[in-house]
Amino acid sequence: MRIAEKEHPAATRKVVVRHHALVRLAHWATLPVLFGLIASGLSIYWASPVNQHPVNPATGSTDYLADLGIWISHPPPGTAADPGAWLYDRFGLGTFRLAQALRLHWLFAYLFMTVGLLYAIGLALGGGYKALLPRRSDLAGALAMLRYYLGAVPAKLLRRPWPHPPVKSKYNPLQRIAYLAMPLLGLLAVASGWAMHKPVQLKWLERLFVNYEGARIIHFWTMVAFATFVIPHVVLVIADGWDTFRSMVTGWSYRVGGRYGRD
Amino acid sequence: MDETERPGERRRVSVAKRLAEPDESPVELPASKVRARTRRDFLFWTAGALVAAGGFWWLLPDETRERHLTPAMRDWLDSLEARVGADRLRRERFLNRVLTFDDDVAEALYSPTRSVRTYSRSEITPLKNNYNGATPKPDYLPGWTLTVSGLASGRVERLTIAELLGRFALHDQVTRLFCVEGWSAIAWWGGLRFADLLQAYSPVSGARWAKLESSVNLDAAGGPDPYYVSIDLPTARHPQTLLATHLSGKALPVEHGAPLRLLAPMKLGLKNIKAITSIAYSVEQPADYWNERGYSRYDGL
Repeated sequence: MRIAEKEHPAATRKVVVRHHALVRLAHWATLPVLFGLIASGLSIYWASPVNQHPVNPATGSTDYLADLGIWISHPPPGTAADPGAWLYDRFGLGTFRLAQALRLHWLFAYLFMTVGLLYAIGLALGGGYKALLPRRSDLAGALAMLRYYLGAVPAKLLRRPWPHPPVKSKYNPLQRIAYLAMPLLGLLAVASGWAMHKPVQLKWLERLFVNYEGARIIHFWTMVAFATFVIPHVVLVIADGWDTFRSMVTGWSYRVGGRYGRD
Repeated sequence: MDETERPGERRRVSVAKRLAEPDESPVELPASKVRARTRRDFLFWTAGALVAAGGFWWLLPDETRERHLTPAMRDWLDSLEARVGADRLRRERFLNRVLTFDDDVAEALYSPTRSVRTYSRSEITPLKNNYNGATPKPDYLPGWTLTVSGLASGRVERLTIAELLGRFALHDQVTRLFCVEGWSAIAWWGGLRFADLLQAYSPVSGARWAKLESSVNLDAAGGPDPYYVSIDLPTARHPQTLLATHLSGKALPVEHGAPLRLLAPMKLGLKNIKAITSIAYSVEQPADYWNERGYSRYDGL
């Protein structure tokens, strides 16, 4: 890759190990599993949407997700296809796929729990959780990071200096909040999932969400929260550069000095 | 990931040390080693991505595949996957095994002494008629009998609704009925305990299952479509498992399974068969209508 290295066989490179192998494995395994959970989950959701409204006389829809699909796809008048299925067809397994979606959802759910458990055990035994624990200064720090991200593009266009807030730890405050929120969100998704799946045998869990409907609503919104997290997550990784992506594959980063005033 | 490892020298490292959060201090490594490890990890990552993508394609329902890629690409992928054994038959077997596993988990969670949550009558919600096909016409009611077979006595019993109501105590309960589709409804049910019927007419020795059937069920076009479910006897013996005869204090209406339906609130709604015409006990697990259509079999909630 680098010419200098090829020239000198004894060349060395300074690296810092950022992510444990188990964290990397859990990270990448979660990606397809979550994708599968959302795709199958949407097809289950379609069978009886929990977020419903009275019938819309124009579309015949009672489902906000179907409305969203209709709104995005802008069906030309007279088309035969069901515009309410637009979103379910693209992000889910489609409509009228309940039996197949359920089997897949259980498969991915058990995989999700396995990966989550491995991650949790690894983090607990290895002490990796400490990097995720919130600190007293995190609220102010997270706001500073948000301000930085929101202003980065305008500052670049205006050619004004826009320094990155200093980061003295493994993650910046916003990252710390987000990376702690994800496992907790996963736990909430699993808990609400079991409350829906076994509301009789695990009735204490169902009670935790008030009732069955409560678990359904929470379970749906954990999906929305996961899907929403992915967007800024990917955008920021691209913006931050190749080193950040590579460190989640190989574990190490070449940014040994800390790019943002890290010591 | 131990960077101080020397060739030819393998040390025992404790699990805690292996899992330890990496030290944030920089290490200086031969550039060739960094390159080799990077290459190895990216190859591993790419292989994982390919397996995940291939696995996804394999697992997708046929109807979902039809909406993605071009026919030529689909054929190419399908034949490529079939070469490594990832064909449709295997997919069905694998996913059905997932269903069985989940059913086993449900069965392991079941406790005969755990009561189903009950509600007050003020919490009752509307209950829709969810007959899979057309609702049967009430002309079956006058001639209706319940046939009970698979008995220890070797007899086949035929019971009328008057006999059932006269012989057994009726019990009330307000419970939630959960549909596999996701909706649920809280309703006030009344009926005899399945356990009482089991006591009065004991099944053959070794019986573990009951097949409940309704010969009056219809398909969407109104043609005959007998409906049948398998119920494990531990569930049938639960005190909250009723052979319901009443809804909201009145005799069951036709759309909710007159004159007798199953109310097993610890099972999915699809097990709560309406207008039962026969109960047959068996040692072997009987067929189940929705299990034959790709749904789970035990359906324990």
